[in-house]
Amino acid sequence: MNDAKTKLQKRETGIAGLDNVTGGGLPSGQATLVIGQAASGKTVLGLQVLARAIERGDGGVFVTFEESPAQVKRDVTSFRWNTHLLESDRWQLIDARPRFGAEAAGEFDIEGLLSIVGAAIAQTRATWVVFDGIDQLLQYQPDSRIAIEQVRRINEHCEERGWTLLLTGKATGDSMAPARLEGIEFLLSATLVLSARMVRQQLNRSLRIAKFRGSGHVADELPMIMDDEGIQLPYHETPPATKPLASNERVSTGIERLDKLLDGGIYRGSSLLISGRPGTAKSTLAGSFAEAAARRGERTLYVSFDELEGPYVRNLTSVGVDLRGPIESGLVRFHSLSAFASRVTEHFLMLRRLLDTVEPHCLVIDPVSALLKADGIEGASMATEHLIDLVRRRGITTVLTSLSGVQDPEGEATQGQVSTLADSWIVLDYNVRAGERNRSLSIVKSRGSAHSNQQRELVLSDTGIDLADVYEHGSEVLMGTARVTMASEEAATERRRQLERKQRRMDLERRIEQAEQERHRLADELELEKGRSTETDHQERIHRKQIKQRRDPERENLRADATVKGKQP
Amino acid sequence: MPELMLFVTGTAPRSQRARANIARMLEHIHRTDIQPLEIDLLKQPEQGIKHSVFATPSLLRVSPTGEVSVLYGDLSEEDRLHRFLSDLERSV
Repeated sequence: MNDAKTKLQKRETGIAGLDNVTGGGLPSGQATLVIGQAASGKTVLGLQVLARAIERGDGGVFVTFEESPAQVKRDVTSFRWNTHLLESDRWQLIDARPRFGAEAAGEFDIEGLLSIVGAAIAQTRATWVVFDGIDQLLQYQPDSRIAIEQVRRINEHCEERGWTLLLTGKATGDSMAPARLEGIEFLLSATLVLSARMVRQQLNRSLRIAKFRGSGHVADELPMIMDDEGIQLPYHETPPATKPLASNERVSTGIERLDKLLDGGIYRGSSLLISGRPGTAKSTLAGSFAEAAARRGERTLYVSFDELEGPYVRNLTSVGVDLRGPIESGLVRFHSLSAFASRVTEHFLMLRRLLDTVEPHCLVIDPVSALLKADGIEGASMATEHLIDLVRRRGITTVLTSLSGVQDPEGEATQGQVSTLADSWIVLDYNVRAGERNRSLSIVKSRGSAHSNQQRELVLSDTGIDLADVYEHGSEVLMGTARVTMASEEAATERRRQLERKQRRMDLERRIEQAEQERHRLADELELEKGRSTETDHQERIHRKQIKQRRDPERENLRADATVKGKQP
Repeated sequence: MPELMLFVTGTAPRSQRARANIARMLEHIHRTDIQPLEIDLLKQPEQGIKHSVFATPSLLRVSPTGEVSVLYGDLSEEDRLHRFLSDLERSV
């Protein structure tokens, strides 16, 4: 046949994350298998795709083989997009549940079903068709080979008529196909696997593209959320079209001398990680950054994990950082979240929604390491990685703090790869010497800046924060414990130097990786662009052909006959 | 409503077989007086929705009390078909 038929076309599902990881949607004019255990979200996926299609002005057909139409409508009600389905006549819900007590006395086929659905598609001008639980009907087939054959028939029919279909079925064990339909995954060009697993008393949902013939796709198990918005892949929502801005503008950290060390502050739209042991004044630094932003008239979203607004703000006031004023004027939006209350993916989704509603210039998360405490098999690194990517794309200047262990001042920050991803990294620590506890600050990295890597003393007073230069060894002769401290400090300095070196290497590797990803993304985009134009041509051709046939199916033949006769001598 | 309805799709092989099988069985149970009403879903798809029949061929039976039962398939399993129609059987 022609090119348009053999080349893969995609149709948007309207689920942003899914369209993003598939590079434009699922195969158009073909059937896609969606399998998963009970309650893994198969029906919701189908309904959501229809709702989005109807929202765009298209139509849809939903054929239910398992749930009653009333149950399907109840499923819809709990989602925010329910009105698209409940109040629209552009879709048809067909109750194709096998009759109660039905028996089979021989093989049957599904031509009747296809004819019924065809009529419904014509009526609703459907672009998406869902067969929900087809295994319920096909299990009556006495021979499973014939059941499988009929799935092939469905797919053929889709190709002939240009139907785009989702075929859902219950997974049995680890199999990629419903019981008695083993092997159908080989017949269809795309397969999605949904799963819902209990991990530490929490439900972890995921979506995996097990197969997508002829198309690049993300093959990983993708963390999935199902809430009143329906199915979402929080980490894979299409990023806004705007390119990350590489601003040359410097933004103050709120501490004059720190700005000087950083060559004038941190870049607008960049991210700064502040790590340190408990009590090293991480929050104070973060607070002073937000305070400075408010002085410039910029909005800051301030997220505190596990600390309430009242005590948090009061503690900062005692060291001369005033957040109360900016909170009252609305320039600082304070949100207190509980790390244990949700899974990492949900936290990420929550943060993204806050960013959407507040639209801040600056973001503070204190501490981002709290995400590590939240459960979720996806792990915190994915969340922090996507978070940093997201704020970078939106040009939000971000300060993240991270708590590290007593033995290992840099420690935890490297978990979750925050330190690799953040543009700048400041390590806070304290030295106890001669009965005095001195806080120290050192800049481990600052991308794109000439920065001083000398350790400074951080001085806190009720008028605010300042930095003081440290004098090596001082004037005293170091003895006893002080000497030991000195030795361990030298070891720490050495460790830090190595860390910096490693950091630079990781940064470069990371940048190469990012450039690679960008290249892939652009190649996919180009492919999609080509696909879109052929798709339009193809649809138009089908449409013209249908109109012609409807007008008079016989005429074509007659004319052909006449031509042949006319040519005969 | 007629006593027996046979849902078919045009001249599909399984539909053809079902036509022959039901005719043979009706003869066998001496009920040639019953003519199953044939519904072609290719021509009348709305009848499929109306009667909840999506597999073809299918034999639908409506009892005098309005009770509906259905037998999917080409009716090649004689025993099943016989049982399905057993109370209609007449001895000559």
